[in-house]
Parts: sequence; structure tokens; C-alpha cells
Amino acid sequence: MEAVTITKERRIPTAGEVLVKQGQQVDPDTLIAACTVPSQNIHELRIYRSLKVNPDDVKNHIVKHEGETVEKDEVVAIARSFFGRQTRMARSPIDGVIMAFSSSTGRMMIRGHPVPVEVFSHISGKVIDIYPDEGAVVETQGYRFNGVFGVGGETHGILEVAVDSGDIPLTSTEIKPEHSGKVLVGGSVVTLDALREAVKQGVKGIIVGGVDQKDLTYFLGYEIGHGVTGGEDVGLTLILLEGFGVNPIPDTVFDSFKKISGNLACIDGTTHIRSRSLRPEIIIPL
Amino acid sequence: MSKQKHDSYLLVDIDHNTTKAILVQDQTLTTITKTPTTVDEPTLDVTQGVIEVIKHIQQEKSLNLLLGETVKPEFKLLCSSNASGGLHMIITGVIGNISGESAQRAALGAGALLIDTFSKDDRRPEYKKIAAMRAMKPDILLMSGGTDGGATSQVFEMAEILQKSDIKPRYGAEYSLPLIYAGNVSIQTQVDDILGENGYALKMVENVRPLINKENLGPARESIYDAYMEHVIIHSPGYPKLATWTDERIVPSQAMVGKMLYEYAQHRGVNLIAADIGGDTTDIYSVYNGVFNRSLNAGIGLTYGISNIVKEAGIDKVLRWLPAMMDERSVRNIIGNMMIKPPQNLSGEEQQIQSAVAREAIRLGIEGHKVIASRLKGVITERTLSDMFDQALEPTLLNMMKTQVVVGKGDAFSNQTMENSMMILMDAVQPEGITELYLDPDNMAAPFGNLLDHAKETALDLYNMHGLQFIGTSIAPSGVLADGQEALRMEFTNIQGVKVSHSFSSGELTMIPLKDMESIELNLIPNRLDLGSGRGKLVKKVVRAGKLGLMVDTRGRPMEKPRLPVKLLPIEALGRSE
Repeated sequence: MEAVTITKERRIPTAGEVLVKQGQQVDPDTLIAACTVPSQNIHELRIYRSLKVNPDDVKNHIVKHEGETVEKDEVVAIARSFFGRQTRMARSPIDGVIMAFSSSTGRMMIRGHPVPVEVFSHISGKVIDIYPDEGAVVETQGYRFNGVFGVGGETHGILEVAVDSGDIPLTSTEIKPEHSGKVLVGGSVVTLDALREAVKQGVKGIIVGGVDQKDLTYFLGYEIGHGVTGGEDVGLTLILLEGFGVNPIPDTVFDSFKKISGNLACIDGTTHIRSRSLRPEIIIPL
Repeated sequence: MSKQKHDSYLLVDIDHNTTKAILVQDQTLTTITKTPTTVDEPTLDVTQGVIEVIKHIQQEKSLNLLLGETVKPEFKLLCSSNASGGLHMIITGVIGNISGESAQRAALGAGALLIDTFSKDDRRPEYKKIAAMRAMKPDILLMSGGTDGGATSQVFEMAEILQKSDIKPRYGAEYSLPLIYAGNVSIQTQVDDILGENGYALKMVENVRPLINKENLGPARESIYDAYMEHVIIHSPGYPKLATWTDERIVPSQAMVGKMLYEYAQHRGVNLIAADIGGDTTDIYSVYNGVFNRSLNAGIGLTYGISNIVKEAGIDKVLRWLPAMMDERSVRNIIGNMMIKPPQNLSGEEQQIQSAVAREAIRLGIEGHKVIASRLKGVITERTLSDMFDQALEPTLLNMMKTQVVVGKGDAFSNQTMENSMMILMDAVQPEGITELYLDPDNMAAPFGNLLDHAKETALDLYNMHGLQFIGTSIAPSGVLADGQEALRMEFTNIQGVKVSHSFSSGELTMIPLKDMESIELNLIPNRLDLGSGRGKLVKKVVRAGKLGLMVDTRGRPMEKPRLPVKLLPIEALGRSE
């Protein structure tokens, strides 16, 4: 096993602020670049319907105005009748900001709060290049392994080998509370119970020979389609080294993991099978 | 282009695994040879495979085709290529099912593999569109939007998204990614201002949708061919050298397949549907009443796209075609592994699963094709009372009862017995009425399609003789009856001149072997079912037998039942003498 130079491009998809400098040492949690983008969540409120007044009368009942922030279910307009004994209200359906109000049509547009877009370093290392307004390139020396399939995106934790050899299944009994925050290396297959227990114990990732495809479907709650993964929010990142079903990890690979047990592991289950361009990645920065 | 009249053609088709060469002399096919394609490491030079395949022909035919390292000028070299997974394209439009769909038709007709389609009305926010575009590495971008003199601001917004995305080409970061603008022609200058200096090789062509009720796909399609030649193929290993050997442009194989199927259907005056299943795509081609359409289900295929079929169709739909002893967990694991590590050679179990999945891939492909093979969307049509009673305004052009020819192509058929191929087509396409079934397992449509512009009659004759394998004629009444009821009565005069009548029960698939290409005149009387003339109405037809003879399918349409063993019935055993 030989250490290699590893570089990672870290960019946000739109112009924002770069928060690191060239030459800076970074950790996996270092925020490289960030911005906010306007929310696409826009709601139109027909206030005159809620208040049961004429559209051009709505302006007299507005309590929240253009530019003001509102919370979900907050009252934006109120109308009282019968000497204050009957009250009708219009409420915001979302958290957001009032974009516009038309006094002639009695309608209000509310837009959700801006969406933060951020990119973290993911690996520890040094910033060697900057993309102005977009991000940076981070470089490190370390070991790199690739899996054949994964689910879940970027995460990191201390690597720990949880079984004695590569042909032993990883079951729920091997998952312990002390594995919280760690990346576990299992054996030939991980069971559905083990996956669920790992999420419960706060395990960050599992690297294993295989998983039963039906168990993975149950774990995800849906069927894997065209082999483009990485965006799953299932509580951990799972990387298969060999494939579906029971697949022992080859001895040489398993021994390598044993040697680097205790090191930081930065893993990413993102897989793009169709374009044949992206397979899950395990980086061990030194 | 060469003006020389040629009688000898060397047709070369290069796909990712195989380089195929066909020598055509004096309007006859002399030989077909194949060698491995040499576009990948360690060779990284496509011409080595081409030279090798030509040398095979030389040896076989004792001919001298080469002059040094090029082909002799008296042999016209025509090349098509699908190496490196085909022509990857991204489409953009303003309204997805108007300009976006027209651009799709132009790209698919040019043989493209669509990676993604973006439009102003799709639900992804702008930053997600940009992130998605950046993650893709296409070969060509096609931008449409707006009728001529129509929408402007949405087109500019889409141009700005492309400008911000800074999309990189699949091969060779040093070359400019071709971007073909085929939208509102009145704003070409402004689009050029936004995109011209952005590292894209921008080319303006006529609008794919100049009017809401008119499509103009030709200029965009031609421009895709040019960009493929000038920007894409020239960056693939060895292709620049190959391009100097031929004075015709190297064309995408899928485009030539479409061209051949269209001409074949026109030549025979039939409606045709063809299914081509590859590793991660399923292509469906159709020609109905002279209108050609191609649709592509990207991500639906037999290797990289195999899990997507299970997702889209459901595991139960796949399992219905498999023996009951195969358990779901094993099937799922085998399918998952075929996706992540496509096997070089299939085991018996994998082959069975692939056949089952192929049926669902074709079924899904045809469902998707119905959307593409339709009237132009966005056009307001008035339905009169008479329209209510015919199909003039049907949402799709596809009509199985009016389909005379079905062709199966691609990986799903190349390693199968003919009987298995027939079963896949019968189960997946579910032809109705009287339909001829063919196979093109070696994808001969591409090289012969390339010959069409030079020697049309020869190309059609050769494709018919050497490209297509005639499986047989399917007789399948439409409608459903309870199992065991009489579904169809067949009457004919046998070789001894005796009138024979035979009844077929509902729920069966019967194969009647006959001599290949033997014709037989049949009287077909469906019982409460429809064979094209109406429920219970007699159909008189002379049908041709293929390599498997005739197939009588009384399992009903639509057919949902699991596969039953095929009944083999020699014609001598049919019916009783009258």
C-alpha cells in the first residue's frame, strides 16, 4: 500500500464567498465556500378569500407588509366584523419573506427563506488553488481505495475494523455504542439489522464486501434505480467493495484496513455507474 | 465529397467492442468480418482495428484493398461509429414538451444519447440546474427555445445558465464544447453575445420549432453530424487519421440505424417498430404512415441500466417471466451485480434473468416511445364530432394492430436462440393482428444505412438478405377470453389440396414450423376477438413463414399472464380434414 497525492476540487454551483486562503491547512469540517440562493418556494395568498372581503379592500386589513419576515402560520391579514365579534385571518403557509402585495387584486406573494449552499473541505490537507467566488482545491498525501457501489454522501470518522476477517458477516451484535462517529469496516456482508443498529448508534459509515440488494432496498425505503447515488439521507454512508450478496473482502484489502485502523477516514458513497465516471471513495489522509 | 462513381464499398461500423467491415462489390455482399475495436487502452488507435478487419477481408478474398496505410481509392470507405458509448448530448429548451421535445427529436434522430434535458419550466431551481450541468460531460449541447419572433427573455435566461455552468466536454478539456443554438432566430445575435466568448464552439442554425405547429429538425440534425465530426470524433484516439481515409464524414451508428429502418419501412410500405436494447439504453424506433420517430430510454438497459428496469417496472413484473424456483433475493443480487460489474460471459441464470428484464425494458421503452411518437404538443386542435369516432387525434401514432413489422436488435438478442428471441418480442411488444417478426442481432442496419445515400437499392436488398433474420409471422388476436375457450379458427388448404380447419384455445402460444419463406393462404376467424377487421370478423391473408414458421398467440391482449411453454404443432397435425 503506497501513499499518493490526492487533490479534491471543492466548488459551489453559483457565485458566493470563498472562506479559505491559498496555503491554508484545512480539516474535513472547514467551510471552503458558501452562498445563499433565492428559494424557489413561492406561495401566492388570495387574502380576499380568507377574509371574505373585496380584493381592493384587503389593503385595509394587512398586518404584515412587503419585505417583512413571516413564520409559518403567522397572521398576515385580519378582518373583524359584527363589532369585533367575528374575526377572519389569513396566515402564511411557510417561513419566509413577503415579496409583494397587490392592493388591487388582494393577493400576496411570500417566498421561502434563501437556501444556504455550502461546500466543506471533506478531507484534511492544504489549499493549493482558489476558484474566485466558487471554491478551492485541497491537496493531501494519503491512501485511496475505491468501492464498486455506495449510498450516502461525504462523511468522515475514525476507521475501525469491526470483524476479525473479511469473510465474516457484520451483524447488529458487532455494532456497539463506542462506534458512534466512526467508520466501520465489516466483512462479507452487512445485515439489515446491522445497518439499522449502526444508524441508531451514530456510526458515520460502513465499508463492507456486500449487502443483500433487498436489505438495501428496505434500508433506503425505495428501489435503487440507474446507479446514481450519493444524495441519500439514511443516517450513514455505505460503501460496497465487491458487490451485492455475500462477498468476502479479499485478504490483502482487509489487511490494509487493519493497518490503517485508527486513522481518519474520509468517505463518499457517491456512485455514477451510467457515466462510468464515479465510484465510491475512501480517503485516508496522512 | 467525391464525385467518383463507385461499385465497390467498404462499410465499416465501429462500436465499443467490435469493428465490423463489409465489402460490397457489384451490388452484392462479398464478405463480413469483425475484429475487436482498438479505441481504448492499450492501443488507443481506432485505425488499428480498422486495418486489422480490412486485412481479414484481404486474406479471405485474396484482394488488395490497402494502399500503404489507407484504403485504395476504388473502394469507397464509409464509416459509422458508436465507440465510447455513443454521442452524449444535453438538450435545453424553454418549454419542456414544446421546444424541448422538438430538440429531443432532432438529437435522437441524429443518433444521440441524451444525458439530460433542461427547460425553463422544469422544477429544478437555477443553482441545481447549474450543479447538474457541471457534473455532466457531454459531447454536444443543443439549445432550443422560442418560436421565430417569439419568446426571448426565457431563452436569454437559459443562455445565462449555460454560460454560468461552464460545461466541460467529455473528452479533451482543451477543446471547445460544441453548442448548437436552434431556437428563436431573431435573437441569435443576443444569444451569441451571452455565450459566444464562453469557451463554447457556438453554431447558429435554423429553429427546430419555427412555428408552434411546425417542426424543422433537418438543420439541427445536420449540424449535430458536423459537430460530431469536427469536434467530437476528431478527439477520439485514432479518429483524425481515420477521417483522412474517407472523404465522407464519420456518422453516429444510431443515426444510420434510424435511416435504414425508415427506408426499409418506406420501401415495403409497412408500419414498423424496432427495439434495440443496449447496456444502459433502450432505443425504440418507429415508422408509422411515413413518420419516423426514435425514442431513447437512457438508464434502461441490460448492464448499467438493469436495476432501473426493476425500479421502473417492479420486481414482480420481472419475476413473472422467470421460473418459480428462482427466489427474489438471488434475482435481486444478480441484477444488482450485473449493474455494477457487467459480466463478460453470462451464466445460465444470468441469461434467464437478462431475458426477463429485456421484456420489461422493451415494454417500458414502448410506453415511453408513445409520448415521442405523437402529434406536436402545444398546438390547439379542435375535435369535431367525427373525430370522436376515428383515431385522427389519438395521442400517439403507435398502433399495434396496424404494425406489420417488428424488429429486435441489440444485446438482448445477440446471444439468444431464435426461439428465445421470438418469446422476448412476443411477450414484450405484444404484437396484435398479423405481424412479421425480424431480428437484426448483429446491428447490420448501421453499415447498410450508411450505404443508402450511395446505392439505395443495393443497401435495402443487402439489409433484407444479410441484415435481417425473419423469425416468422405472428397471428395474435386482440382482446381477452377465459382460458380454454375457442379463440381462433384457422382454415387453409394443405399440400394435398385438402381443406383443413383448426381451432386454437385461449391462453396458448403455438408455433407452427413451416419451410422458411413458404407462403400460405389462411382464413382466420377470431371468436369475439379482433384480428384487424373487427370483433369476430374473418381475415383472409397470405402469410409468410420465417425460420420458426408461424406463431399463433391466443394469450390475449393486453397479456399479463406468466410465460407458458410454447406448444409446437407441425402443420400436418393441425385440425381435421373437411
